[in-house]
Amino acid sequence: MVPDGVPQPKVTAFTLPNGLRVLLAPQPKSPAASVWVWYRVGSRNERPGLTGASHWVEHMLFQGSPRYGKGEIDRAVVGVGGELNAFTDTDFTAYYTTVPREHLAVPLDIESDRMTRALITDPEVERERTVIFSEREGNENWPEFRVEEELLALAFRVHPYRWDALGRREDIEQMTPAELRGYYRRFYGTRNAVLAVCGGFDLRDVARDVRRRFSRLPSGGEDVGVREVEPAAHGERRSELSGPGTNPYLQIGWRAPAVDDPATPATMIVDAILGGETRLFTASSGWGRAGEHPNARLYRGLVDRGLAVRATSEWRPRVNPSLFTIQALAAAGIPLDRLETAIGDLLKQFAKSGPTATEMDDVRAKIRRGAALSYEGASRTGFRLGYFSVLRSLAYEQEIYRSLLRVRAPEVRDRARELFRDESRVVVRYTPITEVPHAGV
Amino acid sequence: MRESSDPLRVEYSQRADGLSIVRQAPPAGAASFSATYIGPGGWGFESPPNAGTARLVNQLVTAAAGPYDRVALARRLDRAGATLAYQCAPESAEITIWGPADEWKPLLGLLADVVLRPRFDVADISRVRRQALERRLREMSQPGGRAEYEFLRATFPDGHPYRTTGRGTRASLARITRADLVRFHRTHYPSGGAHLIVTAPARTTSVLAATKAYFRGFAEAKGPHLTVPRFSSHRPVRREVDLPGRSQVEVRIGGSSIARGSPEYPAAYLANEVLGGRPLLSRLFQRVRERGGLAYHASSSLEAMRFGGYWVAQAGTGTDRWRKVVPMVRSEIARLEDTTVSSSELDRIRESAIGQIPLSLESTADAHELAVEVAYYDLAADYWARWPAVLRAVRPRDVQRAANTAMDRRSEVTVLTGPLGAFPRRRTAPK
Repeated sequence: MVPDGVPQPKVTAFTLPNGLRVLLAPQPKSPAASVWVWYRVGSRNERPGLTGASHWVEHMLFQGSPRYGKGEIDRAVVGVGGELNAFTDTDFTAYYTTVPREHLAVPLDIESDRMTRALITDPEVERERTVIFSEREGNENWPEFRVEEELLALAFRVHPYRWDALGRREDIEQMTPAELRGYYRRFYGTRNAVLAVCGGFDLRDVARDVRRRFSRLPSGGEDVGVREVEPAAHGERRSELSGPGTNPYLQIGWRAPAVDDPATPATMIVDAILGGETRLFTASSGWGRAGEHPNARLYRGLVDRGLAVRATSEWRPRVNPSLFTIQALAAAGIPLDRLETAIGDLLKQFAKSGPTATEMDDVRAKIRRGAALSYEGASRTGFRLGYFSVLRSLAYEQEIYRSLLRVRAPEVRDRARELFRDESRVVVRYTPITEVPHAGV
Repeated sequence: MRESSDPLRVEYSQRADGLSIVRQAPPAGAASFSATYIGPGGWGFESPPNAGTARLVNQLVTAAAGPYDRVALARRLDRAGATLAYQCAPESAEITIWGPADEWKPLLGLLADVVLRPRFDVADISRVRRQALERRLREMSQPGGRAEYEFLRATFPDGHPYRTTGRGTRASLARITRADLVRFHRTHYPSGGAHLIVTAPARTTSVLAATKAYFRGFAEAKGPHLTVPRFSSHRPVRREVDLPGRSQVEVRIGGSSIARGSPEYPAAYLANEVLGGRPLLSRLFQRVRERGGLAYHASSSLEAMRFGGYWVAQAGTGTDRWRKVVPMVRSEIARLEDTTVSSSELDRIRESAIGQIPLSLESTADAHELAVEVAYYDLAADYWARWPAVLRAVRPRDVQRAANTAMDRRSEVTVLTGPLGAFPRRRTAPK
């Protein structure tokens, strides 16, 4: 069957002389307009001592620029009913603002002001330091966060994917305002940015407005390429953690390919069959995950059998080779050894026989359906256009979609064999030990 | 009947069996469909020995239904590009289906299977029970979940439907039988007192015909009655739960509050927005996070339900910072009640709330949430179209009065959960 394409809206794309990539996707009926700025800078561009700098800079871009003093960005956007936020990942940092369509000029003005001229003053950096601690502490309350952080640290010894985007606590404590400013000046620039404007607007007017506001920014933004290459692992690595929690929990990781690797589509299908999703094409009414997938292999093999209360796999392609993970929360009374053995048996079986024809049909149907509704709303449109652009290219969404539909069962089987090798396995196990006051349990 | 193409104006129809049908036009350009059944399946209706029943039933109806076992239902949804979501609250339970607009009729049929013909397969019950036990344990051991649990217990008296989070106890969850679940479903997923909200690119007559074809055979026409004891309290309560090994302390300060149908609601809504409800602009966010740098999250929410509600300010902060955060939050509550909000601040918050409405029309799922709220609280069909005018009629002194009505500081509840012992503590006298 010839695969259809993803129903992307019509996009007008151009690059300004200063290097800024612009994507305009008018959706005339939309009551909202959404402005996204994606920077190709994330935690992979940090170094030890500066871990968390990308995320901290993300916070600082809300704390003042020449035309918008502290708090004025919030007032300008939320004051007209808009929403704004930002997030930092390993490979990118993204800022979005969605407003009623008649207020589109507000986020365009803000982004053009803070793209290269954020103030990042000493007092604001100091004040934000405790906010960032607080964000990190909120995450630390969850065993899942602690395990993932440990897993990354075990899996990578050289590549910057070895730390979480929140950064290490010790680095957050000692990083200086000057270092943050330096990081911002080095990487935040027109050459590393993609501006996506989507929703209800007139294309000609907004194209003119974007050129007027952003063309005058200086060209900038250092190369974001990462030179470090993670050496091959020659044996399993494992770690045991303990602390407060409910049931025993584990994550297992394996080295997975980079986004430009030909093995990427088959790896995504492995994830979809084991965990239930391809991540990039998921039927969902929001941006988040679609929830449980009772027909996925891990769910059937672990949750249905009473070994786990939660089990899934997770992998999104990243710019550099990353980690494919399986996560499982044991059912009460199930030791982690038993759960780990069951996962191993399940993967061996999968690598031996590969997916069934029904599983392949289901996955293809899921990808097609997931893609069909992925562009509803200006905000989701801005997310997708920007995400694929910084991950690889705007055209990559159609390429990977077609590639996914072309993958055949034997390729998935072979990919599983290659992926789930013992010598590249990393295991982190978490045992809850602390008794907590359980009123009325 | 006049049909509206405006998602802000819904159309009500009442069936002979008592099921209320609400039709909403999808937003322009939307390609998806949503439908929700919402009825009296909340945990406020369950008996204490069987606590946890409502949430188990709510999850199980979406597990397997009609001709579909668990795997077949998941495949059916995947192949349609649809999702099922469940949500349980003290006084209601809801099931929502979402998927492609061109499949709205068969998906509505699937929702009917789920609502009317859940299977309650034994294997599903075992699985959902195991998950419920873990969630219960998580609620008790996580600062955020524990704070909510303690706050509700401190705010509402024994027997009040809002006193619990509906997760039951280890003993009650173990005690619930399949017969209990089937019985609860039969009596608490009725036609009467329930609403079916459909956001689809279809005329009202088509929607009514489809609902007539699919939603028939309810076990009960009449919904159960919820008993809500009247109570008053003029005694502040403070609860601290030390959870060693955690990193963050959760703070909750608030108390019982008004119902959604209260005439004070619009002013109280704005009062909450001023205090902590409006993202980024609220006083709590500005003072605790932006100026104080003391917390990542600081906000408030007014949970106004059918028979009452609660108003709570919340923040998550470090072990060395909660002593500063608690008086800060308390002083902002006092400021809201003791002084009149300035016209400029009220205008800013109000126009932000009004300006947000177009953003709710970005997608079918967002617009649908508005219709569900209208239906459940029996609000006017054009409620959201008139909402801006309602808000603009609220004056600063109305906000202050509503703040005093909606939160009585004499019975203020303060809850702290987390690693309280990780930092030198000042002695506090628990009330």
